[in-house]
Amino acid sequence: MRSGFFKQRYAELVVLTDSPAVKAWTAALVIALVAAPFIVSSFMLSHLTVILFTIVGALGLMVLTGFTGLISLGHVGFLMLGGYAYAIGVTRMGWPPEAALVLSAVVPAVFGLIVGLPSLRLHGLYLAITTLAFSHIVSASILAGGKFTGAGKGIMIERPVLFGMSVASDRAFYWFCLIMCVAAVLLTLNLRRSYVGRALVAVRDNDIAARTMGVNLWRYKLLAFLISAAITGVAGALMGMYASIVSVEGFPFLLSIEALAIIIVGGIGSVLGAVFGAIFIVTLPEVFSWLVKIGGGRLADLMTTSAHEIRSVLYGLAIIGFLRFDPRGLRGMWHDLRHTWVQWPLRF
Amino acid sequence: MGYFIELVISGLAIGAIYGLVAMSFAVIYKATGIVNFAQGEMGMLTAYTSWSIAVTLGTGGVLTVLTAVVVGAVLGLLCERLIMRPMLGEPVLSVVLVTVGLAVVLRSIVTIVWGAAPHKFEVAGADTILQIAGIGIRVSQVTVIVVLLAALGGFWFFLRHSRFGVAMRAVAADEKTARLMGVSTARVQAVAWAAASGLAGLAGAFFAVIYGLAPTIFELGLKAFPATVLGGFDSIIGSGASGLIIGVLENLVGGYLPSTLKEIAGFVLILVVLMVRPFGLFGEKRIERV
Repeated sequence: MRSGFFKQRYAELVVLTDSPAVKAWTAALVIALVAAPFIVSSFMLSHLTVILFTIVGALGLMVLTGFTGLISLGHVGFLMLGGYAYAIGVTRMGWPPEAALVLSAVVPAVFGLIVGLPSLRLHGLYLAITTLAFSHIVSASILAGGKFTGAGKGIMIERPVLFGMSVASDRAFYWFCLIMCVAAVLLTLNLRRSYVGRALVAVRDNDIAARTMGVNLWRYKLLAFLISAAITGVAGALMGMYASIVSVEGFPFLLSIEALAIIIVGGIGSVLGAVFGAIFIVTLPEVFSWLVKIGGGRLADLMTTSAHEIRSVLYGLAIIGFLRFDPRGLRGMWHDLRHTWVQWPLRF
Repeated sequence: MGYFIELVISGLAIGAIYGLVAMSFAVIYKATGIVNFAQGEMGMLTAYTSWSIAVTLGTGGVLTVLTAVVVGAVLGLLCERLIMRPMLGEPVLSVVLVTVGLAVVLRSIVTIVWGAAPHKFEVAGADTILQIAGIGIRVSQVTVIVVLLAALGGFWFFLRHSRFGVAMRAVAADEKTARLMGVSTARVQAVAWAAASGLAGLAGAFFAVIYGLAPTIFELGLKAFPATVLGGFDSIIGSGASGLIIGVLENLVGGYLPSTLKEIAGFVLILVVLMVRPFGLFGEKRIERV
C-alpha cells in the first residue's frame, strides 16, 4: 500500500499520474493495442476500430456535457458536419486528405461557436432543445444541398493516403484510428488538468461562483463548444472513412443518444469514463446478439429483423439503469475495484 | 386566396395536435420542473394501443377518443410510478436523461411489437368532408381543433378554480413551501404525468386518424417542442395556443417554399425566439445574462 502523498510543487499536483504501476500498465496496454492487428481476427479488428473512433466522438461530447455541464442533444450534427466537411474537401474541392481532415475539425468548430452563442442566455433544457434543433437543421440543409452535398445519396469516399502512407487496409486504418484516439485522449486529459479544464468544471459546478473567481463565462462556454465540436467533427470524418460513405442515414439521431449513453454509462466528467462507456456501449449489442444466438428460438429471428430497435432498447435501458442505480457509472465501479485491490484487506 | 385559406385551415388542424403535445410538455414541466423527452413516444404508444383496441372491439369515434385518453393516462401513471418516482431528488440532468432513455425504449418497443409498416386508423365518419364557406375540411380535423380549445378551457378552469389545480401551481411556484402547506408533491407529480400523457395520447390518436399510423409519430414530440418553447415552458395555455401558430407557419412555409424548409421552419423560429425572449412569449420572465 502506498502512503505519504507529499507534494512539494504545483506541477506534482496536476501531473497525470505519479504511480509507476499505472505508467507500466498504460505502456503495456499501448503495446497490446499496437500489436492487436497481428493477433485478433478481422471481425474483432473492425470492432476495435469502431470502439476507437467512438471514443473520439464520446470525448467530444464529454468536453461539453461532462466537463462544462451543457447538455447537447444534437451532437450528431457536429458529427455530420465533420464527415461531410472531409468528404466535400476530398471529392468536391480536391484537397489533400490531410487538409480535409483539418477542415473536418474547423467547420464543426465554427458551427459550434454559432450554436454556442445562445448557450450564453439559455438554461440547460432550452439549450438541449437548441442543439436538437441545430442537428435537424444540419441534416435538412444537407438533404437540400443538391449535387454539392450529394443530397439523399451521400458521398462515396475512399480510404486516403496520409503523409505518404496508405490507410486503405483494415490494419493500417486501425493504427490510424488508434493514433487519433490516443491524441484525443491526451488532448482531453491535458485539457482537464490545465487552467482551461478547471475553468470549465467550475462553470459546470457553479457558474456564479466561477464568475466571481474571475472565470469569463462567455469565453469558456464558447471554448467548450469549439473544442467539443472540433473533436466530434474529426470523429465524424473517421466514421465516414470507415464506412467509405457519408450520408444522412449514416448519421441517425440515435447517435446523439448513443453518445449520451456512453458518457452516462462511463461516468460523467471523466476521460476514463468516456473510454469505458464507449467500450461498453459498442460491445453491448454484439454481446447481446451473441447471447440471443446461443438461446436461439424466436428471439433470434427478432434480432435479425429489428437489430436497430433492439440496439436502441439496450441503449435506453443502459441509460435508465445506470442513472437509477449507479450515477457514477463504470468509472465509479473501476474506482471502487482499484481501491479494494490496493487497500485490501482494509476497507478504505 | 383559396389556397392560402386551405393552408391555414389544415395548418390549424395539425397545429391543434402540436398544441396538445405542447400542453403536455408544459404540464409536466410546471409540476415537476423537468422536460419529458418521451412525450412524443407516449403519444405514439397510445395511438398504437388504441388502434389495436379499436380494431379488436370495433369502437366508434367518441369511444376511440376516450380510449386514447384513458390509455395515455394509465401509461403516464405507470411511467411515473416505475421510472420517475425513484428518481425524485436526483439532479435535473439525470432525470431528463432518464426520459431520453425512456423515449428510445418506447419508440423501439412500438416498432418491434407493431412493425414498421404504416397502417390506416379507420374511425367511422372521421373522413367525412364538411363544406365550410366553400372549403372542404375533414370531420377529424374539426374535432381536433375543438378538442384543443376544450383542453385549453378545461386546463384554465382546472388550474384557476379547482383545489388540486391550485395545489399544482403551488408546487410549481415553490415545492418546499407547498409541502409545508400539506400538498403531496408526489401525488401532484403523478397527476401531472397522467394528465400530460392523456393529452399526448389524444394528440397521437388524432394524428394517426388524420395522417395514418406509422412509427414516425414520435416525431410529434420534436415538432411540438417549438410550440412549447414559443409559448414558454411554464405556460400551459400559452403552449397550447402556440401550437396553432407553429402549425399554420409550418403549413404556409411548406405551401410556398421548398418542402425541406417545412421540416425545420419551427426550429428556425424557436432559435430566433430564444435569442430574443429566452423565456418564451407567455413564459414567466427569468432573466439569464452572462
